[in-house]
Amino acid sequence: MEALDIDLDESEVELAIEPMLVNVGPSHPAMHGTVRCVMELSGEAITRVDVQVGYLHRGFEKMCERGTWSQVFPYVDRCNYVSPMLNNVGFALACEKMLGMEVPERCQWYRMALGELARISDHLTCDGAMAMELGAFTPFLWMVKARDMIWDIMEEETGARLTHSFGRVGGMAKPPTTGFKEHARAVIDQVLKIVNESEGLLLGNRIFLDRLEGVGIISAEDAVSLGWTGPCLRAAGVAYDVRKAHPYMKYSEVEFDVPVGKTSDCLDRFLIRLEEIRQSIRIIRQCLDRMPDSGPINIEDPRVMLPPKESVYTTIEDTIRHFKIIMEGLKIPAGEVYSYTEGGNGELGFYLVSDGSGTPYRVRIRPPCFLVTGGLERVITGQMMADVVPCFGSLNMIGGECDR
Amino acid sequence: MVPSLAIIGIDFLKAFAVAMFAMNVGVILTWVERRMRGMIQDSVGPNRAAIPVPGFVAAGLATGPAFLLAGSVLYLAFGSELPESEDAVFYGKLMLQAGVLVGWVTLAAIARSAQESGARNPLEQAIASLGSPRGIALGGVLLQVALLMIVPLLIGEVLTGPLLLTIGALALAGTAVAGAGHVGAALSSQKTVRITLLGLLHPAADGLKTVFKADFVPPKSDQFLYNLAPWISFFPTLVLLAVVPFGPALCFGKGEDGQIDLSAFQGIEAPGQMCEASRLSLQVADLNVGILYFFAMAGTGIVGAALAGWASDNKFSLLGGMRAASQMVSYEVTLGLTVVGLLMVYGTVRIDEMVLWQANNTWGIFVQPFAFFLFLAAAIAETKRIPFDIPEGESEVVAGYFTEYAGMKFSMFFFSEFIAVVSSSTLIAALFLGGWHVPFMTAEGIIVTIGDSELFRSEVSSGALVALGALTFIVKIIALCVLQVIIRWTLPRFRYDQLMRLGWRKLLPASLFNLAVTAVLILAADGASAGVKESLERAAELSMLGVGVAVIVGALALVVFLFAPRNKRIILATSAARYAQALGGTREAKLEA
Repeated sequence: MEALDIDLDESEVELAIEPMLVNVGPSHPAMHGTVRCVMELSGEAITRVDVQVGYLHRGFEKMCERGTWSQVFPYVDRCNYVSPMLNNVGFALACEKMLGMEVPERCQWYRMALGELARISDHLTCDGAMAMELGAFTPFLWMVKARDMIWDIMEEETGARLTHSFGRVGGMAKPPTTGFKEHARAVIDQVLKIVNESEGLLLGNRIFLDRLEGVGIISAEDAVSLGWTGPCLRAAGVAYDVRKAHPYMKYSEVEFDVPVGKTSDCLDRFLIRLEEIRQSIRIIRQCLDRMPDSGPINIEDPRVMLPPKESVYTTIEDTIRHFKIIMEGLKIPAGEVYSYTEGGNGELGFYLVSDGSGTPYRVRIRPPCFLVTGGLERVITGQMMADVVPCFGSLNMIGGECDR
Repeated sequence: MVPSLAIIGIDFLKAFAVAMFAMNVGVILTWVERRMRGMIQDSVGPNRAAIPVPGFVAAGLATGPAFLLAGSVLYLAFGSELPESEDAVFYGKLMLQAGVLVGWVTLAAIARSAQESGARNPLEQAIASLGSPRGIALGGVLLQVALLMIVPLLIGEVLTGPLLLTIGALALAGTAVAGAGHVGAALSSQKTVRITLLGLLHPAADGLKTVFKADFVPPKSDQFLYNLAPWISFFPTLVLLAVVPFGPALCFGKGEDGQIDLSAFQGIEAPGQMCEASRLSLQVADLNVGILYFFAMAGTGIVGAALAGWASDNKFSLLGGMRAASQMVSYEVTLGLTVVGLLMVYGTVRIDEMVLWQANNTWGIFVQPFAFFLFLAAAIAETKRIPFDIPEGESEVVAGYFTEYAGMKFSMFFFSEFIAVVSSSTLIAALFLGGWHVPFMTAEGIIVTIGDSELFRSEVSSGALVALGALTFIVKIIALCVLQVIIRWTLPRFRYDQLMRLGWRKLLPASLFNLAVTAVLILAADGASAGVKESLERAAELSMLGVGVAVIVGALALVVFLFAPRNKRIILATSAARYAQALGGTREAKLEA
């Protein structure tokens, strides 16, 4: 029998094919936080993608210019809300750099211990959520259980589980509780156990490895030129960690390794975070061993620190001092400074400008997420629709920090 | 030949029972899933739905059945002709065991409640001082095992059938009335009692709630297809079970009009006995196409998913519908090809005959072990659950083909997935795990024979065998369902291309290979010498013996696991935890808002 299409043109036989445009986000399960990706799909493959951020913009930086320096702490809490302690410490360090002060040794160890605990909770959330979005629910719940133990420590130390506002210029709001060391030691043992267990469940699973291996690759040059830092950059093979490259606090005195990836795929980013949890536990152990049990936690400088409550109520000098620091804010000398620390997702920088008054002139936050999210387009173009999930998960975009 | 009214009534009953079974297991599975999530999180899980009833009504509900049971048991023992009949020993043993069971369960429950919320009266105090609930339960189980061993030895001159029946009836009636009386007394003192059925009412209430939800229909959708799709998805999964036998067929005599005579019961169709006159199968539809009907119906489900995806006017739905269609078509091929191997071995497409073959020889999993795993993988893919849940992969395509569905239409999709789990488990149990067959079950009872030597013999009446068979089948189904739920909570999902690759490049060649090997082996076995055939029969018997031993060991391990004392170490490091502990702990806290 003669073919029916024998006298038709090639173009008439083929169905008209046009790529499908899909709006993924800003409210979509894969887009945690509120990012919008306009994707051009050819079947399941992504041919083009337009990543749009800013849906969670709340004007934090502008709001910081309204209050005193101390009133910035609650805002930085809400930037990376998975590891707020690191932001607290980062901002306190920036202010102290401007003031030219250094907090007592006990406070430095305390800040490091709390900060590393926050880093663990950040990485646990990221890796757990990544597994959950791929459908493996159990490891997520285990990891969140471990995170909850860490938040128990935070609650005990600071009174809040999520947004601590615990940092102060010149120290911390409170000295460590008496049971802090014992509690932290008990918890990090448990966390290590849970991490090992979850790792066994996930990395022994062919499906999980298949979903991550060779997906979302980015070259080291691209990562550097995009301004990537943190676990994502280290997964690309660049051993840049602010804690090692430009040590602050006591990081030069503790032993820890910086894990570096080889292939720069999603699996590498997943593994780097797991390894960093172990390294953080190493750091915390050293901090707990070396943190003195007594001694001042805050700088004893009347220009910066609030006087003790007893003397506020009994002496006129301290009442005035208290009033001035609360109402006018502590004075930071005019000038500008860029201070950077290793946050949960990479280099967390604070560029501060002071005009010498008690109110910041400008607070510019350099969020690691923003630059990492900038590379999302390059990472997922050419991948399949389902690959967006591990790619986006492994970049660990935190909406509050990215959009501020 | 027009079937009699009785047969039509029985058919209707069977269909109703099977549909109820599937839907109820579906509800229980929903609950298990959510409970599982709750357990991983150390939380209580969904259990807030309750029916509040006045205390005296609750007491009546609790005591009524117990009094009915006690009355009928006493009637059997003293008012009927049972003591004189041959069954007296069997029923006596049964009642004694049941009585001991009720007794220790009641004692353990009272001890537990006394331990947790304090004893309410001296009696409870005395029971609580007997030992821990765990200890009482262990003692009860040991007593049951001891009775199981000792009673058959004592039967003879002293312990005659009627005496055993009397003891058993008194034990069961006494413990049931005492236990129910205690519960009733406690309930009637309360003003209202919330009946929660262990939280099982919660998924039922959630299902009921969706009926009253807003029925949203996307304005630009294809209204007819949109409304049709949930039915096409739901209905086939429910009727799948029609061809699966839930127990051995019953043999009846033929009446004068050539029809089945329901008054002339002749026993069951099991190894050692085939029906001569007419048979009443315990399946809804006695179709001669058997498993082909199953595939036809399972294939129809694809249409529902694809239609829903197409008609919803949503790009995510479209993606999900396409994924569903391609996935289910691909895996249906593997599903069918693995069954071809079974068809070659069993020589029939009727599922009841397949189960009989397994009862006569050995379970399908031993003759087609490779096919079992292929079939399990393909069956999970057919039910569209993790790791094969890409049609509805919630982190990629929102909810896939049912993104735009709300209310009852959504829950029809949701529920059809759970029923599909039940029906696929049922099919796996029937094809590979012997269906209703219990190892060494024959028409006379449980007779363990290896070769010519008889190791164990326990004669059981036909009615009890049917009940045992149906119960075993349900246990197998539930075990497979639980296995699927565990898989769902542990594994991540595939990517679309990986899924297709697995289906076409791995499972399909593997099933073809399985087919070829099976064909060669069948030819070899057919032409083998008598000695080889003899040893094959021994191997089949040994495999059944292995299953029996494994089940007993498993049951013992379960008992040991359940009764092993738990050492829960609670770290009370935070002030909040210490505060909660001082208030009596958070574990048992009421979920009242």
